Amino acid sequence: MTANNPTNPDDSLPLKGMRILDITVVWAGPYSTMQLADWGAEVIRIESTKYFAATTRGQMARPPQGVVDGGTSTGMGYAWREAGERPWNRHAIFNAHARNKLSMTVDLTKPEGQEVFERLVEKSDGLIENNLPQSMDKQGIGWERLSKINPKLVMLRMPAFGLGGPYRNYRTWGNHMESISGHPLIRTYPDLSPEYAPAGVPADAAGGIGAALGMLMGRRYVRRTGKGLMIEAPTAENFVPLLGDFVMDYSMNGRLWTQMGNEHWYLAPHNVYRTQGEDAWVTIACWNEDQWKSLCEIMRMKDLANDPRFKDNESRYKNRKELDAIISEWSQDRQASWIMDKLQLEKVPSGIVMNERDATEDRHLHEREFFSSIEHPEVGTHKHVRTPFKSGNHENVGARRAAPTLGEDNEYVYKTVLGYTDQEYADFEEKGHIGTEFDPSIP
Amino acid sequence: MVNGSKILPMSGIRVLDLTWHLAGPYGTRLLADYGADVIKIERPSEGDPSREMEPLFKDEQGPEKSLLYQYLNTNKRSITLNLKSREGKRIFLELSSHVDVVVENFSPDVMGRLGLDYGVLSSGNPGLVMTSISNFGSTGPYKNWQASELTTYAMGGAMINTGHPEKPPLYIGGHIPSFHVGTVSAAATAISILGAEKSGQGDHIDLGAFQIWMGAIDRRQSYLMSHQYTGDISTRPWPASALGTGIWQCIDGYFMTAVGVGLFPRMANMIGASDLLNDKNWSTAAARSDPERLDESIALIVPWMLERTKAEARDAAQEHGVYGGPINSFEDLLNDPHFQHREFFQEVDHPKMGPITYPSAPFKLHLDNSKGNEKIAAPLLGEHTEEVLKDFLGTSASEIKKLREGGVI
Repeated sequence: MTANNPTNPDDSLPLKGMRILDITVVWAGPYSTMQLADWGAEVIRIESTKYFAATTRGQMARPPQGVVDGGTSTGMGYAWREAGERPWNRHAIFNAHARNKLSMTVDLTKPEGQEVFERLVEKSDGLIENNLPQSMDKQGIGWERLSKINPKLVMLRMPAFGLGGPYRNYRTWGNHMESISGHPLIRTYPDLSPEYAPAGVPADAAGGIGAALGMLMGRRYVRRTGKGLMIEAPTAENFVPLLGDFVMDYSMNGRLWTQMGNEHWYLAPHNVYRTQGEDAWVTIACWNEDQWKSLCEIMRMKDLANDPRFKDNESRYKNRKELDAIISEWSQDRQASWIMDKLQLEKVPSGIVMNERDATEDRHLHEREFFSSIEHPEVGTHKHVRTPFKSGNHENVGARRAAPTLGEDNEYVYKTVLGYTDQEYADFEEKGHIGTEFDPSIP
Repeated sequence: MVNGSKILPMSGIRVLDLTWHLAGPYGTRLLADYGADVIKIERPSEGDPSREMEPLFKDEQGPEKSLLYQYLNTNKRSITLNLKSREGKRIFLELSSHVDVVVENFSPDVMGRLGLDYGVLSSGNPGLVMTSISNFGSTGPYKNWQASELTTYAMGGAMINTGHPEKPPLYIGGHIPSFHVGTVSAAATAISILGAEKSGQGDHIDLGAFQIWMGAIDRRQSYLMSHQYTGDISTRPWPASALGTGIWQCIDGYFMTAVGVGLFPRMANMIGASDLLNDKNWSTAAARSDPERLDESIALIVPWMLERTKAEARDAAQEHGVYGGPINSFEDLLNDPHFQHREFFQEVDHPKMGPITYPSAPFKLHLDNSKGNEKIAAPLLGEHTEEVLKDFLGTSASEIKKLREGGVI
């Protein structure tokens, strides 16, 4: 269905020819369409200069310097720590996940905007969105209408908790779906109150991959039956299955796991240990006696292997606090990477907790060409994760073109994809649909 | 196959599933739950080691007692085959010429050593998709390293941002790493199936858990970008270090919120402090980003939360558009009104254990006759060996007897 897609010059990529409309925000939704774009689909982000979705192209359209500075330790930095004239083109979150995607703008609150939208639906294979159901309702975006416009469409909707049920319009980030699902309580520290439970967003990762899988399956269904398909992929329901064994241990055995920290259900040692340097850590996990004995030898504590407190896994698990204290005492004066290399040489599972610098310097990632450099028109050249998994046949999978600036592909989408004339394009521009800057009234 | 005559998204796709333990089986289960015919190949007599992994049904030992195995293998067929025997290898090669997909999660060199690498398997079946799952991928200096789920998750990076700044970074918990990697493997396989059906050309996917985490959206991709933008190394945040953000004591537990400078007015409304927004110290985002506002806000939030239950806080948060949720246990989750309303937890009958309660599907198909994921219990070891050999290869009953006696199946 696609022609001359500016982001994908390689005709042989597996998803070439698939056009996906992208009305996604924050992390989970964009992660799903990123997978599709990486493997050759033409992903068109439908954006609006009249509406700014928080945490998609930044926290705010025009963030004060305090917000710009506050983001640097939380992965939400702006290029060169400056908001610049168009902050929405300089934010780390968007510029990481929007590579290979196209950006067009249209105001869906106006009737002619809805006409543009309908034409897009007609000419596309799939649509993915992860908004509050009530906001989609307001814009009239629903399966009943879209399937009439394009009976072979796959529509995939991924609101946090689903299209039905008491939490239909619940506003959450990934970490709240996780807290409702029981996740922070199992992963937090055994020795601190749940007020210290961490906030991660693995639900966004789960939801994004699950939704990508759903869309791929939907396209195969269309190929096989000639009929379109609506798929409901709530992010929370993509996440809870990752906790399936905990759910079943409770539902079948009545056992409730809680506050496990870095401990295993039954293996020891299994933890993360402080090493030389600032905030530097290494993991060590043994699952058999050979690994345990090798660890004792490397620590030059052969006697430990014969110590009755640690003689077998059961004893080690029972006395794991003492064991962890001994290992920490040994690890704290050594480099994390030395411990990892030394243990791996003797086939003991160990890995450092990598920070961003460790990752960019890592020899395995380097040798696998994990990163690729791409130039962005406003912020320069940076390394992108090329693609987490590799193809044996296709060189051009993964990051090829930098994230689009707002409205960067308006001409291509309006004229080439939708067939509007130069005059019509100028009219859309005049009516405020086409633009590259958010409305000045948006903070 | 086990889904009968309904047309589901993966109907007609035949998968030879060599995977064992966790990640691989989770991925092929997703393909099976949505219609693929997944033939799980297990070692004669022992089967997949996860058949004995915890949690166990009523904590009883035995090959058909693992709830984990049940969870990972619904809707599959099981055959036994000794791949180390010459005859077993021949049968595998013949089977592989009849399928669309082979998935394996052995150590990187094993398939080659068995003489069953992608070059061999695809020579008579050019459209074959093969997905190889490992800890570090099939090339590179770490390819033969040992790893548990803790190892690859730690190296994958998001761990450094998880937890308290003065305490060790925290693991993600349970088998989440394997199950997530399994989902990625299903997506990778689906991409290649779509490509192969279009072009006739298969592919060999090389997927390592370490790289999956390093490339994940959960605090890695954007953090790697942010690091290049600012030079900063990210850190574990202090609790309640952003405006309106933290975990708060309620009457019956804890409630988590994440608000920030921009959306703080919603929280001010929720806790009955709307007047604050008229004050010049609070009226603009710039004013609210002054660090002094943080302590003042905590002093207002704490007493409000102390007067409420988790459910009351949840309802108020929803009403005011405040991002938040209760800190639940799995007991709370199974009793949650929303998940109950959606019938998210489903029961499946197992021939030896009776009804087992599972979390349901990651996504629902809106079809008249199916949501996808209608589950049939995991197979008994070798339950379908005869059936599959007859269907695929026309193996006769006497040949099957001979194979069984020779320990091949």
